[in-house]
Amino acid sequence: MLEKLVKWARIKSPWILHFNTGACNACDIEVLAVLTPRFDVERVGILLKGSPRHADVLVCSGPVTRQVKNRIVRIYEQMPEPKFVMAIGSCASAGNVFRGCYNVYEGIDKIIPVDIYVPGCPPRPEAIVDGVVKLLNKLKEGS
Amino acid sequence: MAVNIEMLLGEIEKKWGGKYTKQRDRRFFLEINKDNLQSVVSFLKENGLYHLSTITGVDSGEQFEVLYHLDLQGEIITIRVPISKDNPQLSTITNLIPGAVLYEREVQDILGIKFLGHPDPRRLILPDDWPEGVYPLRKDWKYDRASGIIK
Amino acid sequence: MKDNLYCIPIGPQHPALKEPINFTVTLDGDIIVDADLRLGYNHRGIEKACEERNFVQCIYLTERICGICSHSHATNFTLAVEELLNLEVPKRAQYIRMLIGELERIHSHYLWLGVAAHEAGFDTLFMYTWRDREIVMDMLEQISGNRVNYGINKIGGVRRDIPKEYIPEFLSGLDKLEERTLEYIKVAGSEETFVVRLKNVGTVPHNEAQNMCLVGPMGRACGLPCDVRKIDPYLSYDEVAFDMIVEQDGDVMAQAKVRLKETIESIKICRYILQNLPDTPLALEKVPRKVPAGEVVARYEAPRGEDIHYVKSNGTTNPERVKVRAPTLANWLGVLYGLRGAQLADIPLSGAGIDPCISCTERIGIYRKRKDSIEYIDWDWLREYGIEWYKKHKKVVR
Repeated sequence: MLEKLVKWARIKSPWILHFNTGACNACDIEVLAVLTPRFDVERVGILLKGSPRHADVLVCSGPVTRQVKNRIVRIYEQMPEPKFVMAIGSCASAGNVFRGCYNVYEGIDKIIPVDIYVPGCPPRPEAIVDGVVKLLNKLKEGS
Repeated sequence: MAVNIEMLLGEIEKKWGGKYTKQRDRRFFLEINKDNLQSVVSFLKENGLYHLSTITGVDSGEQFEVLYHLDLQGEIITIRVPISKDNPQLSTITNLIPGAVLYEREVQDILGIKFLGHPDPRRLILPDDWPEGVYPLRKDWKYDRASGIIK
Repeated sequence: MKDNLYCIPIGPQHPALKEPINFTVTLDGDIIVDADLRLGYNHRGIEKACEERNFVQCIYLTERICGICSHSHATNFTLAVEELLNLEVPKRAQYIRMLIGELERIHSHYLWLGVAAHEAGFDTLFMYTWRDREIVMDMLEQISGNRVNYGINKIGGVRRDIPKEYIPEFLSGLDKLEERTLEYIKVAGSEETFVVRLKNVGTVPHNEAQNMCLVGPMGRACGLPCDVRKIDPYLSYDEVAFDMIVEQDGDVMAQAKVRLKETIESIKICRYILQNLPDTPLALEKVPRKVPAGEVVARYEAPRGEDIHYVKSNGTTNPERVKVRAPTLANWLGVLYGLRGAQLADIPLSGAGIDPCISCTERIGIYRKRKDSIEYIDWDWLREYGIEWYKKHKKVVR
């Protein structure tokens, strides 16, 4: 009974942690733009949080650079279960133009498991909202 | 106070040797010996130069080259200092232009050229677990993508 | 007193700046005694990657050095290659490049204003500025097809045109923006809780700014006349009338003034370009793929400052060496200087003040060093701390 309540609460308002693993910043600006009045994702109940311990969803952009790898693993471990990872942008999904660069792991799924990929360079804010909605559906079906 | 750059470069040639070329409007290239670096930069400073745009390190096969891109009144003077690969070091210019600290550290990281007298020669951009003595922008360094191990 | 000194590193992940950097700040009580920087989180090895790609592929690679000044890097690189090839680019292409560059500057300054407002706790201004920024994003999308990473450059010209039908709509959008910007200049200058966060914060005196070789709005806020569009004109900037904005105070307030007034100048430049687009082809017909050996230094005034590219070619289709020094790297020394002597509550605005494009440079984190251990501090905590501190201590604005 309690589980159902928690699940309902999570679906109704997932808390998001945003992390940039070496991206050019375009995807991050689009994630921020999603919060602004034009696209306004807060009306769906999504809240951007600063700390891993409160987050349900880790939203990641950027091809993972070597320096950042340990930090992203640490953040992932600090998040409480159940947790979900969303890879924003082509860099996070597969490395994008940085494939073949030293100092870069090509994509977040080389480091932590990913649930949703949102391709694009950068993906439009509408695509990011679509990704979030798909994630919420996945949550509903029972992770 | 407008300074005639060509005259300045001509004087430098006379006093310290080296050679300058004018590539086009507002772009000059000056090649000097590394021992004269401090004197030349000091001379340019006395004549109104204060802005260093950046420092580039180049691996030209036979030798290294360190290029100082200086801005004097909107015109760029690129000072080229050839360095031998056997002994890749030269003196820092942070005593004359403090803004050079980060640029020299970057060249040190990626090419392994030592800047003698640098106040803070720590790693700048390469990650903490990057092995010592491996310099990515040297031409003879190739990255084995499959294993992902940096050698 | 060693015992009272705390080192605060500010961690690699925090919401507002969006890009991790390691600042280590040593505190004596509440005052910052020393500040240090650790870069490296965003180093992707682009310069090496450029050597393995041909010149056309490099345009797309350099475009993704930074998402906010993507056009700056791509255009700068293209200008360098065109100089190596000794090409005369048609006027219409130059004007279109300038237009996109100025629109980029406008959206970047609006972005900065929103971020600075958010850091100061002024979230309403953040929402308003980002909503108005959408006007510019729509224009950019209409011209190039994407909101960021326009891909409009090709060697010898541009890929897309601005049809006559778009121009009236764009002009009315620019009018709206100008009206809003003037409004924000008034608000930012008079809203006391905001002004007190910016005035006399992160001040860098003129001679120090010169020594540290600062660039961009930060340099111009300290009195340095360093706008590349004026001192070393590229494209057709010498044909367009606009002012270089220079302030003398050197604090974050001066930087805000420089950016807002520059937005007005950029709007004027865009208006001029839209009303005077020359009638020439969009690009050169045939461009050789092999670039003759040579080296070129190209500069561009990105929204954050002077962006300099050094490109060396060796007669093949791939560059020999590409060096990019993005503007934010030049300004970090200024931030570190401004932090010394400041207080903990001023870190967020000082950091956000230079409008850091950390992907152009690297990333920031903050830690507190307690005697023997280091504790990570949340940027959110620091932001809240700053807002609360200023509420409690009503600083007098002179």
